[in-house]
Amino acid sequence: MAGHLRRLAVFLAGRVALLAVLLALVFAAVEFLPGDAARSTVDRGASAADVAARRAELGLDRLLWSRFTDWMTALPTGDLGVTARGEQVSEVIGRHFPNTLLLGGLALVLTMAAALVLGGGAALRPLSWLDRAVSGTSTIVMALPEFVVASVLVLVLALWTGLLPAVTLTGTTGRPASWNMLVLPVLALAVPQIGWNTRIVRASLADEAAAPHVEAATLDGLPPARVLLWHVLPGALPAIAAGAATSAGMLLGGAVVVETIFNYPGLGTVLAGAVRDRDTPLVAGVVAVTGAVILAVLVASDLIRDRTSVRRP
Amino acid sequence: MSLTRRQLFGTGAGVGAGLLLAACGSSPSGAPASATPVPSGSGSVAAGPVRGGVLRVGALGKASSITRDPHGVQVNESDYLILALVHDALTVPGASPNVAPRLASAWEPSDDLKRWRFTIAEGATFHDGTPVTAEDVVWSLRRLRATPAGATRLPGIEAGGIRADGRDAVTLTSAYPNSEVPLLLRLTTFVLKEDTKDVAEAPGTGPFRLESFRNGSARLVRNDSWHGGEVPLDAIEVRMFESPQAMANAMLTGQIDLASNVGAVAARTAEGRDGVQVIRRPDDMAMPIVMRTADGPFADERVRLALRLAVDREAMVRQVLSGYGAVANDVLGTGDPAYAKDIPQRARDLAQAERLLGQAGLDLSQTYELFTTEDIPGLAESATLFATQVREAGLNVKVVKQDPSVFWEKTWLKAPLYTTYWGTNDSVVFFAGKTLGSDAAQNEAGWKDPAFDAAYRKAVGTVDTAERAPFLREMQRIEHERSGYLLWGMADGLDLASPKVHDLPTLPGYGRVQLERAWLAT
Repeated sequence: MAGHLRRLAVFLAGRVALLAVLLALVFAAVEFLPGDAARSTVDRGASAADVAARRAELGLDRLLWSRFTDWMTALPTGDLGVTARGEQVSEVIGRHFPNTLLLGGLALVLTMAAALVLGGGAALRPLSWLDRAVSGTSTIVMALPEFVVASVLVLVLALWTGLLPAVTLTGTTGRPASWNMLVLPVLALAVPQIGWNTRIVRASLADEAAAPHVEAATLDGLPPARVLLWHVLPGALPAIAAGAATSAGMLLGGAVVVETIFNYPGLGTVLAGAVRDRDTPLVAGVVAVTGAVILAVLVASDLIRDRTSVRRP
Repeated sequence: MSLTRRQLFGTGAGVGAGLLLAACGSSPSGAPASATPVPSGSGSVAAGPVRGGVLRVGALGKASSITRDPHGVQVNESDYLILALVHDALTVPGASPNVAPRLASAWEPSDDLKRWRFTIAEGATFHDGTPVTAEDVVWSLRRLRATPAGATRLPGIEAGGIRADGRDAVTLTSAYPNSEVPLLLRLTTFVLKEDTKDVAEAPGTGPFRLESFRNGSARLVRNDSWHGGEVPLDAIEVRMFESPQAMANAMLTGQIDLASNVGAVAARTAEGRDGVQVIRRPDDMAMPIVMRTADGPFADERVRLALRLAVDREAMVRQVLSGYGAVANDVLGTGDPAYAKDIPQRARDLAQAERLLGQAGLDLSQTYELFTTEDIPGLAESATLFATQVREAGLNVKVVKQDPSVFWEKTWLKAPLYTTYWGTNDSVVFFAGKTLGSDAAQNEAGWKDPAFDAAYRKAVGTVDTAERAPFLREMQRIEHERSGYLLWGMADGLDLASPKVHDLPTLPGYGRVQLERAWLAT
């Protein structure tokens, strides 16, 4: 058990180190973009002296390395620094991240539920019309970028038929004003991921179905659904969990596009604006929290893999 | 065309008549009326403003750029809209004259036009009921002056020159005679209570008071004791939109009643659709091409004239602005009542342009770079089309698109040839002081013209409108003839609104935020 924990700790430390390297890269990347936060947060008419003063005010005249180390050393205390407009980064993120987590969480749940049903259904009857239909559509759908899916959804479900609101409006609480505003953004995010995960589910179930113990179960005369749930699925879980973990990252990434199209009040829009403004602490803060979430998902998926693979001989 | 729309969306009873005209299809220009007539049966239209209702307004903004400071740098339309409804500036944009009273009810200059006395409107109070005092105004203006942009927002006026004069008046002392001080106060001179600490939640003096603010969106309710008169709407809900497309979709599906400054692409999509009025605010945005006059290839006056003759203005307006605009005549400030309409419109003359380029001896084997940025829609497109057009006169121009921050740092005010834009087109003198005078801080073309400077000095040093007119005319004549600006056209400001919304602002630029007279037909 102790060995197991130590392995976990080493593994976690590795992942955290990876995140730190990623943050350093983000700092450097924003730095190498042309322009800086001082210029993008003053009036257009501001003189060179004004911009220089602003630069000093924001600490941009200091070396990149010292800014980065300052920011990193404050990070463990939960201090994400101050945005170029003088707000606490943690506050800006706190206002928007719950919305993105809600959007991404719902999309992930929908993705996995749909992928299991579709992939499972297809795996139950290999080479049936259902199997061929699912494989065909999932290939097409996973190749569709989010903005294409989003545009079609808006056109059909909002502008033509008026079934759902075209955009998300923010209520007085800072959350989407009504639940039905979540439907289109969740769908736009989930559809490409459903395509991708359905294929993983279908393939891993098919691989697993060829295993000797499954054949034995089938020969024992167990009903196909029972074989699928109790004998095939457990073995396929590691691959499915890995697929879900990858999707979690893709969903958070896709949020930038989808949130803009649907005017969804999430972190994706904040990130897009922060990059444009060269607001390094805000960009790094967004990367840190989303990175931490993705890290947690990866760890969870690794744990699932660990558990499910030790059980098997 | 624009006149028709002005009538359509003019004030009071005019709206009813205008809509009837449009409904009968007797629009004088014969153009398709962009305003959708109010469905028959809504008898309230002719009766004038109806009290009550909540106007849901969409405005552009970025979540990462939200500012709550009335004196800060407002990049977001949504932020500015909210601030301008909650707080009063001393003056506001007007049609004719181009400056109208707001928190200042009247103003009077000293004989030398250096000292201006502004009287605070009678009965002006903050939302918590306390009356507005001269000290509040002085504190607010000094606070504005102390911001990094203070010098450009209150040009010529130092903090020490802002003084209380009795309980209900303030004097502003300019370093030089300036007839335009009232005009300069119309954008950001929002007044807060003296010594306000939390500017975000501070009570204002405006037609609406802030009820809630969240993530860039706000709910504003009517200020029943507003000094400026009766406000018809019960409330305004401002929703922030990241993209014009999302805002237009919200408008088309009825999630909002007004999409403010939504742009040409959305207007074109909405044109002709039932249930949407397209509101055009002429003279909203100037997108001139700047030719550096101080040095470089365009320092020769003949080269600049050649470029002005090589551009196909109608094509620019049609293609870059989707037709939502008007051809311009190289003079900035087209919305000014004093704009010189009698200067003959410059038209395309390729032969003359080629001749001038030849005379000037410009090296036509070279390729000249035209810098631009995608700051506002259409800007980069204007550069591309312009480059194609001048090629027909033998000049090779290559468009270089820059990131906004690079553009404003490295190109603006410096490059030989670049695009720029201005959203304050209601004053000829404003541009003269800001971009054309020899010592103007933002002299975009590096232009120095003693005759122009002299006319400008006389114009800003004369109070009497009639006496001032010839100087204003002279300035525009010189600007038209030899400045560094190639102003091919003016973009309309474009809003989309539901047919039930009436009396929306039609003024260009910052005039768009004046929603206090808007009302909803029931």
